[in-house]
Amino acid sequence: MMRGVMASEWLKIRRKGIWLLIALGPLGVVGLQALNFFLRYDYLTKRYADDLWGAVIGNVHQLSVPTLLMGIAIVASMIAGIEHQTNAWKQTLALPVSKWCVFACKFTLLCTLLVCACTLLAAGTVVLGIALGYGTDIPLVTLLVKSYLPFLAAMPFAALQTWLSITIKNQAIPLTTGVLFSVLCLFGTAVGDWVPLKWLYLENQWNEPFYSAGPGLLLGLVIYVIGLIHFIRKDVS
Amino acid sequence: MSEAVIETNQLTKKLGNKMAVDRLDLRIGQGEIYGFLGPNGAGKTTTIRMLLGLIRPTRGTVRIFGRDLQKDRLSVLRRVGSLVEYPSYYGHLTAYENLEAVRCILDVPRSRIDEVLSVVRLTKEAKRPVKGFSLGMKQRLGIATALLGSPELLILDEPTNGLDPSGILEMRELIKSMPKQLGMTVLVSSHLLSEVEQMATQVGIIAQGKLIFQDSIEALRQHSGSRIRISVDQGEAAWKMLLASGIQAEWELTDANRLLLPHESDEQLARLVKLLVHNDISVYRVEEEKRSLEDMFLELTGGGDSL
Repeated sequence: MMRGVMASEWLKIRRKGIWLLIALGPLGVVGLQALNFFLRYDYLTKRYADDLWGAVIGNVHQLSVPTLLMGIAIVASMIAGIEHQTNAWKQTLALPVSKWCVFACKFTLLCTLLVCACTLLAAGTVVLGIALGYGTDIPLVTLLVKSYLPFLAAMPFAALQTWLSITIKNQAIPLTTGVLFSVLCLFGTAVGDWVPLKWLYLENQWNEPFYSAGPGLLLGLVIYVIGLIHFIRKDVS
Repeated sequence: MSEAVIETNQLTKKLGNKMAVDRLDLRIGQGEIYGFLGPNGAGKTTTIRMLLGLIRPTRGTVRIFGRDLQKDRLSVLRRVGSLVEYPSYYGHLTAYENLEAVRCILDVPRSRIDEVLSVVRLTKEAKRPVKGFSLGMKQRLGIATALLGSPELLILDEPTNGLDPSGILEMRELIKSMPKQLGMTVLVSSHLLSEVEQMATQVGIIAQGKLIFQDSIEALRQHSGSRIRISVDQGEAAWKMLLASGIQAEWELTDANRLLLPHESDEQLARLVKLLVHNDISVYRVEEEKRSLEDMFLELTGGGDSL
């Protein structure tokens, strides 16, 4: 059943411009950092002389956090909006398919698209570093950690946005919360370690990125289950 | 009546303080076209949503194909096709892709898409985005989607809403052909008596959430008390003649040459016309005078506050 619903979900996002968005996010982040590094090349190269690749990866990561939150909100809203637009929920859910499966597939689709965006971000970072002439001695572990772990840390937001977008017809509401989160996360590093927004920066007192990603994954799972149960119990309008 | 395909027991849905559906006992037999009739807001769509498991009943049960819907929802829905209210479609996709999106879930062969497209005559438009379709075409695509899984039960909620006369006619012919050609049972809701009358074999009438009538279309005709109006050249002579053969005709107030007769069977009516003609009375018109749905509702619900 899951395979069929998933195939249907992939088909539904055709010609919706979602792929363009998925590409635009990471490319925008890398592009802005390219501007930053090329404009202040001498200054930054001198300042980060010890760890040039670390500087590129770190700067890209800082900028990718608000972009990731905004991207989650927009893509989750687009995926759910396909059903809201002509109230196709009643058609989809009157098919021999369980409600949890529909919800799970929407969430899986969002996550898969985000992983693609993370991969593009990693690839873009490598291209940028090489273009800046920082050599090919790329710190792969750091690159992978900073490209993919924020995605795991962002799970609570992905689950929340999926839940809101699916259960609220008015998409202005989930989009507003998305904007709110991406603005608030700019102050993310200044708050306590327990605040989910800080997790995306992978910074904590232990200096261990997995201590940020782990709770993110866990809280994401909790919110996902709550959203799922709510969706299953809710009447279809 | 044949074996029940849909059977509800005391089906109730409370929305806020209002009883949207109140202790409904529907019974729809195999191979029937069941016309589910009621004014707007009577609870038709709420009932249909409960039949499809889209909303949970406050009380009562739904049995489809003899199985409890709440327990066996998936296996029941595999045998049901539906079109609820306005058609649902993905405007950015073509008609073919819309059907493919549903086909993936139903897991039926791809060839079914072409088959259902030809049933609703949309084969030529299959590659066009649905957002450019007319309402009639969208509605037909909705029917195609409902037919995709070769259902044994088709549930159509107001399928002719918003269609032009030719669209309505087409939809009606399509619905009428289903039980004959494909052995389906059809539940079709409408707020128009005339609409239901032309295709249904069984009728259920709902008003204010309550089922106030459920029987065959023939029984409804009897109940609705439609009358026959005959226009002749000699009203008085015709009246006497009918009276002599035991039929109490009434004069129409505005025209003495028009007589009103109680509802008669086709054979009886043919006999009466023959009688008049044989006695040199010219028969100009024989018409059925139907009372409006509103009148009937008032009578069935027994009060003026029913609408």
